[in-house]
Amino acid sequence: MSYLVLVQNGIAQGLIIGLAALSITLVFGIARFPNAAAGDMLTFGGYAGLFAFSATHSLLATGLAAIAATALLSLLMYYAVFRRLAGRSAVSLLVASIGVAFMIRAVLGVSFGHGQLVYEIELTRPYIVGGVRVSPLDLKLALIAFVTLAAAFGVLYMTSIGRQMRAVADNSDLARVSGIRPQRVMASLWLLAGALTAIAGVMLGMKTIVAPEIGWEILLPAFAAAIFGGIGSPIGAVAAGLILGVAQELSTPLVGFTYKIAVSFAVMCAVLVFRPRGLFGKAEAVR
Amino acid sequence: MRGNRRDVLRGLGAGVALVAMPAVVRAQGADIIRIGALNPITGSGSPYGSGMQKTIFAAAEAVNAAGGAGGRKIEIVAEDGQTSPQAAVLAAKKLIEINKVSAILGTWSSGVSLAVAPLAENANVLLMHTSGAPALSTPKVNGKGLFFRFHANNERSGAAFAELCKRRKFTRPATMAFNNASGIGNVDGFRKTWEAGGGKVVESVVYEPNQPSYRSELQKVLAANPDVIVTGSYLADTTIILREWFQTGQAVAWAIPGWAVTPELIRAIGPTAAEGIMSVDAISNEDDPAFKAFDAAYQKAMSKPGQSNVYAAECWDMVNCLTLAIEAAGGSVDANTLKAKIREVANPDGQKVGSFAEGKAALKKGKINYEGASSALDFDATGDVKPTFGAWTVEGGKLVQKYKFQA
Amino acid sequence: MDAYLAAIVSVMLIYVLLALGLTLQYGLTGLINFGMVGFFAIGAYTSALLALHGVPVVLSVAAAAVVAGISAWPIGLASLRLRDDYFAIVTLGFAEIVRLTLTSEKWLTNGVQGLSRIPPIYEGTGTAAAFVIVAILLAVTVAAIFLIHRVAHSPFGRIIAAIRDNEEAVQAIGKDPARFKIQVLVVGSALAGIAGALYAHYVTYIVPEQFVALATFYVWMAVIMGGVGRVSGAVVGTAILMFFLEGSRFLGDFLPWISSVQMASIRIGVVGLALVLFTIYRPQGLMGDFTKR
Repeated sequence: MSYLVLVQNGIAQGLIIGLAALSITLVFGIARFPNAAAGDMLTFGGYAGLFAFSATHSLLATGLAAIAATALLSLLMYYAVFRRLAGRSAVSLLVASIGVAFMIRAVLGVSFGHGQLVYEIELTRPYIVGGVRVSPLDLKLALIAFVTLAAAFGVLYMTSIGRQMRAVADNSDLARVSGIRPQRVMASLWLLAGALTAIAGVMLGMKTIVAPEIGWEILLPAFAAAIFGGIGSPIGAVAAGLILGVAQELSTPLVGFTYKIAVSFAVMCAVLVFRPRGLFGKAEAVR
Repeated sequence: MRGNRRDVLRGLGAGVALVAMPAVVRAQGADIIRIGALNPITGSGSPYGSGMQKTIFAAAEAVNAAGGAGGRKIEIVAEDGQTSPQAAVLAAKKLIEINKVSAILGTWSSGVSLAVAPLAENANVLLMHTSGAPALSTPKVNGKGLFFRFHANNERSGAAFAELCKRRKFTRPATMAFNNASGIGNVDGFRKTWEAGGGKVVESVVYEPNQPSYRSELQKVLAANPDVIVTGSYLADTTIILREWFQTGQAVAWAIPGWAVTPELIRAIGPTAAEGIMSVDAISNEDDPAFKAFDAAYQKAMSKPGQSNVYAAECWDMVNCLTLAIEAAGGSVDANTLKAKIREVANPDGQKVGSFAEGKAALKKGKINYEGASSALDFDATGDVKPTFGAWTVEGGKLVQKYKFQA
Repeated sequence: MDAYLAAIVSVMLIYVLLALGLTLQYGLTGLINFGMVGFFAIGAYTSALLALHGVPVVLSVAAAAVVAGISAWPIGLASLRLRDDYFAIVTLGFAEIVRLTLTSEKWLTNGVQGLSRIPPIYEGTGTAAAFVIVAILLAVTVAAIFLIHRVAHSPFGRIIAAIRDNEEAVQAIGKDPARFKIQVLVVGSALAGIAGALYAHYVTYIVPEQFVALATFYVWMAVIMGGVGRVSGAVVGTAILMFFLEGSRFLGDFLPWISSVQMASIRIGVVGLALVLFTIYRPQGLMGDFTKR
């Protein structure tokens, strides 16, 4: 089997994982805890997008609806739960986020059942480029991912609130002293984190199916990517998502299809033990 | 602080009392026979579980309307097995110990049946299941002969796939299996029969569930240029695999278990991609009176045709078969008596009957042979039925039945 | 009825053992182990495989404790280099790797077909046997409670508590926290291994899909509700958890308008709500020390 094909498959999966990892790394860097609800926020985005897609059949409307709904959910989570836990240990927040994750899944399960739903997009035959088959859907999804990433990086690096967010991630005490209002930064953070998971959810839903468990299943690879990339490093998260996606697929001729899932965990464990700050992380992030 | 903790404990005590209460409420009368329905209401068996459970209730109602079995009324106690061995074990313990059921009907996944089996055997309770794992009818597991399989075992359904591929003159089959007992059992059964017939399987892949993409797995199989891919798969993964396959543009035929090829699947991938997909499953005994009775009951309970849930048809037969055996045993629910009586009332030699009422009347005159809604329902020495299989093809977005055969 | 209560109590005691392991690791030392189910699975498979090859159950359970304990060693080494929250994620990944290995290594574990006919803890049928089993499990649990209680009130216990509260201070007085952390991880995981072994001999059929992360979260929920760092909390928390999980079975009899499918979702939703409410309003748990925090 051509390695080029495996790389292509790895990129397609890596983009989804990278988007989710970006959301996780931002929360981890700024709110300082691993957000286990990211997976179920992603599922929520998948459902929100699905209903918009069925109604309009427009990609733009689907994306916007998913972003709006999930960002709102994300903000609600912040105000109802995580803000009350400010100053507690990362573990308290982690446990609370697991609780939130279960609640989101329960609401989706009660409302829409456990059966699968699908984005009814017309399936098309592939383009053949230099002997490699490229599916138009994958190209479209990659485009969505790049637009989303460009927008996210635009917010982070070219707006004032983005600079404030990164300042808090770098050094929250210093940021506070220099007059950054943490409330505003946090609200923006959760809106952005929600928007990113929403797009990841729409992409995953379009590629596969929509069901209450889909996000939970992708949470561990996304965590792995966030850690591998270096906590708090947006570029690292996306790069790590892509690297893990490709590594996982490229490993299949060696380890087979069952163990390929273990590859990303093994990479994660190895990175943590030998280079705990990840690919792009700063040394101070360790311990 | 001290008082606080004591309150917690007191609350806990009250809670335990609440749990225990329904059991007291259900104190039983002597001329009632309790039967447990342990179906997969939630989990991966959920598309079938509710229908199975409602069918069991409906069949018991029909038995009671005909005066009960051996003069005793049937009462069904239902539990959700959650398609999970651990949950099913506790549910089975409740059925056996609290509800004192004489039989457990309708365990679906092999994992659940294997987990419940030792409990049923220890308590001398019959277990009637629809699982595929061949192990369930081996002497090692079914030592006392108390378990009856109403569905095709994996080897038989695998053989049915091989028969279909032979009829359609495929020569280069490949396989893809979901990594669980049933998925692997199906393709292993296929391989066994196919290779015994001198054929060769060109490629086989086992995949882990719950992944965002199966394209690498798919491409490995497609690289071997098969003319047909035989799967052991479920609805969700089949949907994703077929969507990805269509987008590769490579032509190949598909033979997929019937439980995965549903109208939902066709809707999810669209009629163009679905065109020509073949499915194989045990088939209900559609021309028999038993099926007509089941179909009517199923339509009433689920507002869907009886053909859509072969496991429910099997559950219908479980109740009839069991109650006829109880009738023949004069109302006894002793498992060792019943295991012989079940074969007596279901296997050939005897007047063919299609319902409990008919069988009850005929039993007064002599031997009977219950012909079921799911199959002719003849049990072999290991407690397995030999079902009839059907093969369907998707044509114009609809499932069209093509063949019927024994395998 | 009696045997059913015995069944619930048996499963509860197995969970109590897991909760005690977590109490030692997290409650007393502050190690966030999200991979409990991995050690549970290692114990279950070790004991089941040995017993299936003719080793007496007593020995196979002991072996399960040893193997699960040893397998915590590398995880312990990793823990020395990692922040708390990173360690949590590493253990979560470890448990998943264990499950995938059990699924794939068919020659050893029979893969997805699972291991059936595992010799039971006590041969025999009926209510009497069920109570013998409860008695055996109870004896093991009481021994574990005694062990943890002793540990907590020993010099060793004071050091691990100090590690939890202020690791630098422990270093400052010349003790090496690393050694203590590894010991705690090994002992806690050995407990989880014993729990897994007893589970395997209790259910008599195991398959890799039983050992998913949800089991770990159930144990966490029990510990957090009961009270972190308290032996009584582990017991009470597990009792509430079982009441809640099994109680929903009976709830269906009272609330027939809720379908079983919805009930499954509601069950997980209430678990989530409990986790959130406890972390916000009662971080010390029901049996927790109210004088602190």
